[in-house]
Amino acid sequence: MNDRPELFRGNRIFLSCIYWAFVLYVFVPLFLMILMGFKDSKFIGFPIRSWTLDWYTGVFADAEVISTFGYSLAIAVLSTLISVLVGTWIAVLLEGRKFLGRTAMFGMTVLPALVPGIISAIAFRIYARYLGIEPGMGAIVWAHAVHNVPFVVLVVMARLSTLPKSQIEAARDLGADPLVSFIRITLPYLVPAILGASIFCLLLSFDDFVRSFFLGGYEPTLPVLIFAKLRSGMSPEINAIATVALILTAAIGIWAERFTRRMNKES
Amino acid sequence: MTNETSGRTFWGRLVGWGPYHTLMRLATASPRRQFVILAAFPILWVLTQHLGPMLQMLRVSLTDAYPVAPGVEQHFTLENYARFFGDSIFWMPFFRTLAFAGVFTFCTLILTYPVAYFLARHVSRKNQMLFLLLLLIPFWVGEIVRTYAIMILLGNTGAVNLVLKWLGLIDRPIPFMYTSFSMGVGIVYLTALYMLLPLYSALEKLPQSMNEAAADLGAGAWTRFRRVSLPLTIEGISSGCTLVFLISTGFYATPVLLGGPSTTVFSETIAGFFHVAGDEWPTGAAFATIMFMAALVITATFQKLMNSLRKGESK
Repeated sequence: MNDRPELFRGNRIFLSCIYWAFVLYVFVPLFLMILMGFKDSKFIGFPIRSWTLDWYTGVFADAEVISTFGYSLAIAVLSTLISVLVGTWIAVLLEGRKFLGRTAMFGMTVLPALVPGIISAIAFRIYARYLGIEPGMGAIVWAHAVHNVPFVVLVVMARLSTLPKSQIEAARDLGADPLVSFIRITLPYLVPAILGASIFCLLLSFDDFVRSFFLGGYEPTLPVLIFAKLRSGMSPEINAIATVALILTAAIGIWAERFTRRMNKES
Repeated sequence: MTNETSGRTFWGRLVGWGPYHTLMRLATASPRRQFVILAAFPILWVLTQHLGPMLQMLRVSLTDAYPVAPGVEQHFTLENYARFFGDSIFWMPFFRTLAFAGVFTFCTLILTYPVAYFLARHVSRKNQMLFLLLLLIPFWVGEIVRTYAIMILLGNTGAVNLVLKWLGLIDRPIPFMYTSFSMGVGIVYLTALYMLLPLYSALEKLPQSMNEAAADLGAGAWTRFRRVSLPLTIEGISSGCTLVFLISTGFYATPVLLGGPSTTVFSETIAGFFHVAGDEWPTGAAFATIMFMAALVITATFQKLMNSLRKGESK
């Protein structure tokens, strides 16, 4: 993109060094964390003198850890379904429509994404008590769903703004009512955005700590379990659990990125 | 809708089906009615689910007991807010949190600006997504896992101390952990992406020709940055800083795990009121409200400042 590279060569070398240093900064801690899960000793720390897979076999044999994975996954899927449904609806209302109070409506829509983590968790905790929702799975699903709605709205609105109006008009001319033209034209057009937003919500929910911590009952989600174990001391067992979680989330993220890009290219 | 081709498909038959037809005609009788049907649920949701929790928190913060025990009357009070100013054990963490968040936000900006600049200006468009994606991968990993990774990096037997010792720079490990330094490294590590993306999209829009023109007129690298790139990316800087500041003030697990007794932040103070018996909830709610208001005022002031700066530059 640089027409005259010779002009900025010195900059480029300097900046590329910074970029790769930044890449090291974001990857090295995770890499070390993964490495430590293979250490044949109970003590976290370098140097690592002998290696083992015992921590991993231990994790996969631990019924508590396995059920925690399932619990977190179930919460993520349920909350994502709600967020996507509500978020798409709000996006359809807000995009390209002028009405009294639209700005206020938009502000309230993005509010949950802007409230700092701890405050959002506290507010949800108080409101759950007010609504009579007991701490536990239902409360976490609800809090994650509300918190993730703004992200769905923003992604779907961006896609919706590029929908050619002529397609809707053509459908209407051919006799489709608003509902049918939405299902047949708008919804298929939104699929890439909805899928992308879903994956994002899944990851947000699966990784969330603060809301799960304050709204959870006795059964921990995965981040809450790791946190609890960390408070009672570091151990390679935690590294093994964290690594499995890391691989899971990174794999979903990479797959989603490729998938949405392919869908965007096709349409 | 008696048209033959549309009669053959499911949707065509649905539209032609009597009861559905009547229902739709009723629903779409006027644009006004159509709008009400579309808007009713979103408005209700946003009011009860998005605004509701915040308003309820505010209400609880103004009461003397919550949840209300049977037979006890609930009273309106400002006591919970007064408590905040009465004890340094409360307002110290509050100001510490704001100071930390400000410093960490600035560090994140300094760290990610060159990275975003490199991505947007020196990488070919084809490779940009690839280079960006490389940085995105670690950010899909959760807050707790990444905090733990920093604990391993900075511990007394951690990688940094190992390398320093190996280089012969130190004899005894430096105690990085449980200080504001370890907390800063952790929080910058967690928030960097939220700064990087707005900066990247602002820099990407900047036409290359501007930099070339400045260079042709004899501006050096530093002048080009200060007089061209920086003023034109103020919007990205402002939204990135706002986002990172808001996120930094809200961390709970990271300060607990990476910080020590001397770095207690306000989120830990707030959380304390919810771990013990329920009668402390109003105070916790009041403190959370104070925190939220302060964060809002600071970010709003900051955005106004940046806006006037931008307008001043363009004159």
